[in-house]
Amino acid sequence: MSSVEPNAVPLAVRTAAAPRRAWTKLFRSRTAVIGLSLILLWVVLAALAPILPLPSPTAQDAMAMADPTPSAGHWLGTDILGRDILARLIFGARTVLVVAPLSVAVAMVAGIALGMLAGYFGGWIEALVDRFSDLVLAFPVLILYVILIANVGASVLNIVIATTIASAPGIGRIVRGLVLDLKQQEYVAAARLRAESTFYIMVFELLPNCRGPLLVDACLRIGYTIITIGILGFLGLGLPPPNPDWGGMVRETTTVINVWPLMSIAPSVAIVSLVLGFNLLADGMREAWKP
Amino acid sequence: MNVMIESSMLERSTASTAPLLEIRDLRIEYRGRDESVVAVPGVSLQVGAGESYGLVGESGCGKTTTAMAIMGYLGGTGRITNGSIRFEGQELVGATDEQLRAIRGRRVAMVYQEPMSALNPVKTIGAQLAEVPRRHLGASRAEARELSATMLENVKLPDPLAMLKRYPHQLSGGQQQRIVIAMALLARPALLLLDEPTTGLDVTVEAAILDLIADLRKQYGTSLLYISHNLGLIASACDRVGIMYSGEMIEEASTAALFSQPRHPYTQGLLDCIPAIGSAKGTRALAPIPGHLPLPHERPKGCWFGPRCAHFNQSPCAGDSIPLLPAGDDRHQVRCARWQEIVAPPAAVAARRTALPGRATALAIANVSKQYPLAGSRRVVQANEQVSFEVGKGEIMGLVGESGCGKSSLARMVAGLEEATSGSIRFEDDELARVPANKRAKDMLKSIQMVFQNPDSTLNPSHSVAWPIRRALRKFGGFTSKAAIDKRLNELLDLVRLPPEVAQRRPAQLSGGQKQRIAIARAFATNPSLIVADEPVSALDVSVQAAVVTLLLDIQKEQQTTLLFISHDLALVRHVADRIVVMYLGRVMEKGLAEEIFTPPYHPYTEALLSAVHSPDASARQPERIRLTGETPSPIDVPPGCRFASRCHRKLGEICDTVAPPVRQASATHQIACHISLENLRAMRPVFEKALPEAHTS
Repeated sequence: MSSVEPNAVPLAVRTAAAPRRAWTKLFRSRTAVIGLSLILLWVVLAALAPILPLPSPTAQDAMAMADPTPSAGHWLGTDILGRDILARLIFGARTVLVVAPLSVAVAMVAGIALGMLAGYFGGWIEALVDRFSDLVLAFPVLILYVILIANVGASVLNIVIATTIASAPGIGRIVRGLVLDLKQQEYVAAARLRAESTFYIMVFELLPNCRGPLLVDACLRIGYTIITIGILGFLGLGLPPPNPDWGGMVRETTTVINVWPLMSIAPSVAIVSLVLGFNLLADGMREAWKP
Repeated sequence: MNVMIESSMLERSTASTAPLLEIRDLRIEYRGRDESVVAVPGVSLQVGAGESYGLVGESGCGKTTTAMAIMGYLGGTGRITNGSIRFEGQELVGATDEQLRAIRGRRVAMVYQEPMSALNPVKTIGAQLAEVPRRHLGASRAEARELSATMLENVKLPDPLAMLKRYPHQLSGGQQQRIVIAMALLARPALLLLDEPTTGLDVTVEAAILDLIADLRKQYGTSLLYISHNLGLIASACDRVGIMYSGEMIEEASTAALFSQPRHPYTQGLLDCIPAIGSAKGTRALAPIPGHLPLPHERPKGCWFGPRCAHFNQSPCAGDSIPLLPAGDDRHQVRCARWQEIVAPPAAVAARRTALPGRATALAIANVSKQYPLAGSRRVVQANEQVSFEVGKGEIMGLVGESGCGKSSLARMVAGLEEATSGSIRFEDDELARVPANKRAKDMLKSIQMVFQNPDSTLNPSHSVAWPIRRALRKFGGFTSKAAIDKRLNELLDLVRLPPEVAQRRPAQLSGGQKQRIAIARAFATNPSLIVADEPVSALDVSVQAAVVTLLLDIQKEQQTTLLFISHDLALVRHVADRIVVMYLGRVMEKGLAEEIFTPPYHPYTEALLSAVHSPDASARQPERIRLTGETPSPIDVPPGCRFASRCHRKLGEICDTVAPPVRQASATHQIACHISLENLRAMRPVFEKALPEAHTS
């Protein structure tokens, strides 16, 4: 190229307009930091549970059964069977923190696949996905869970399957809405002119631009799922005893709630704090990443 | 507009003692969490009673911020930290909300760029219009309705009473903007602020809106403050002009003085960036201004334009900040320390292209039609109908028309993003009309690439800007090693004059012009022989536009690429294209060599389009303008006759509505589809008088 062109001077690259990284922005949000701290607190406790100086969550302390109120040996007291409440809460967190995110992750994969197909192809595929979604969404979520779990029995796998069936349509709707807009973008047309496969376009051109709303939604859904697992436990459809299960802990103690309220309050507070953590994190994300 | 009226208004405004609006040393800051940005460090301007003032500058220069400050709409973070805004003798800086409310909408009204967002979608036009006289004039319901209907008549909307019952979405963009203007004028304001009032509209609609505003100004004596990046619009609509640069006023003068004798190098540069509608391809090269507008924290010491200025001299340009200096009569002021020494350089003359005939055909489009079925009905949208033209190898074909004319759908069919309903698109020896991109052979995809319109959507925000180029090289270039890809990537970045460091950046870190350069590099990565460029620069500022167009033309010339250049900007197309096709409502109206399109015989639509162009180029001033009435009809259920018949100012009669016009052969290369005979078409007056080589020599 000859050098006499009028615009041979290279344009200066803007340096100042560099956007702050998404995570830096997130950590500037107080809401997000509080939420994240609550979640991390439970994660750390759950991770360290085996090495913490705690009694076994299933061991029954006959001595404490007479007086299950807090003592030096049982900081939060014991339940009516003499099992240490603190230990059961912390060991219970291990199940919740595995089952809830795992369920949502599986539901996300299914939902994203449904939404992508519906949004990108439209036509009869979209109609089919929509009708299936309508069918699932027409049931109150809790009733859906109860029907599913009552029929197949409670286990980690079954809770994951139930959550996937209940959540995937909602996630699919979000993805479909985003994809309807994103697929019109010129960079998608450019990718088509580059002979990229449909799979490539969905995964590398469209999906990365859905991540903001999806992360927010995932956080909220993990929160809902924790509540749901709690409710299932409370209804006796949770993980089979003697596994420590927050919802189950509340159920087992409702009969003595007037005498020893802490037995019900402690697991309830545990559920609330973790759900609150995920909700605050979701709010913080929405706030920090708003366009 | 009549020059006599302009000058008499000017006299009247200079004669009156106190100006209607007086802004003095206005400083506007935006307060962020950690820092504050001085958007406007100190601007002064005056608008006299009945005067029309144009505030011009590129995006980010502070012109809209200044207007918003007048209205008191600086948002939560904007603060006026110094200076004064006096309106009708009253100080607006520091005025209470109540005082501002009495002025806003009542004495000062504003017309925004986006009419749809200025109108409430759930209320009828009548209800929204009536609010104004009810609130500001204390009118009764019936009176308000009457006033609204009269105003709709004044803004020349058909059937005002029916219009009152409609909702905004039932109106076209041009009609919506007329409603917004009507709403602004209902309270009989003394000052009307117009922020890019016609930017989203088609040229023929824009011309009609500008005429309307000029008429209403005469009728009501309203002062106008136009805010625009469009120098042509300002030249024809304003008495005085202020040019802003990085928040500063850098030159101010009467319109006549500014456009005939621009003093500031930036003003001269801006004028050189604009393709002149009056001059043919090759007679003048666009001269882009190097560099970019400094962000507030990048402003240099001394002259803020210094780093981009060809006349920069360490002293006095880099010394103290430079004040506005008087430069000649008629209150001409310029912020340039060397204005007396500077002589505008003669416009660069581009090498004239050699004649085209005899080139092999690269792309042949024959009888292409495209219909989109309407969901839930048996009707169809006719996007293209029987379109035929040919482009020679290495030629630039300009495709011109207003929105809805089918130029973009044609581009997408050529590129393979859509399939034609019928007809044939032959590229070299392959038939492409029914072959979408995913069915095209690799070699074919490689040969036809596209440059898109929107810099914000052309690159994926989630990937580095080099990502798509690397993908293209791997898929088409046969590159396998990372080193080879990187080497070619750097060559491509060099081709579009970007430093190699940009490769790793995200699109959000680049300016619009830089993004379009990346898009051009991406298109050329596969060594295509045909580039389809769909409005590649319409979203860019004028100086950036000039740079990107010049770049595209340079690469095209060097690589002998065939270029299908789609644009609504006739001046730009005249600057760029060898051949031109003029389309209207899916049909070709006229096609020929570029020079044939710009001289009679014209198709009446071409004549109207040319006539609608506002150019700052003095040689392109037109003795009379043709104004089209109405708007482009819907492409659903198109009439059997000539598509243009419903708006044609030269309509012959019923034959135009019922019989499709014959194609008249004006020369071997020039065709016009019109019922008017060639002799009569030839007898038309040229829209532009003989063009002078250069518009402004001082």
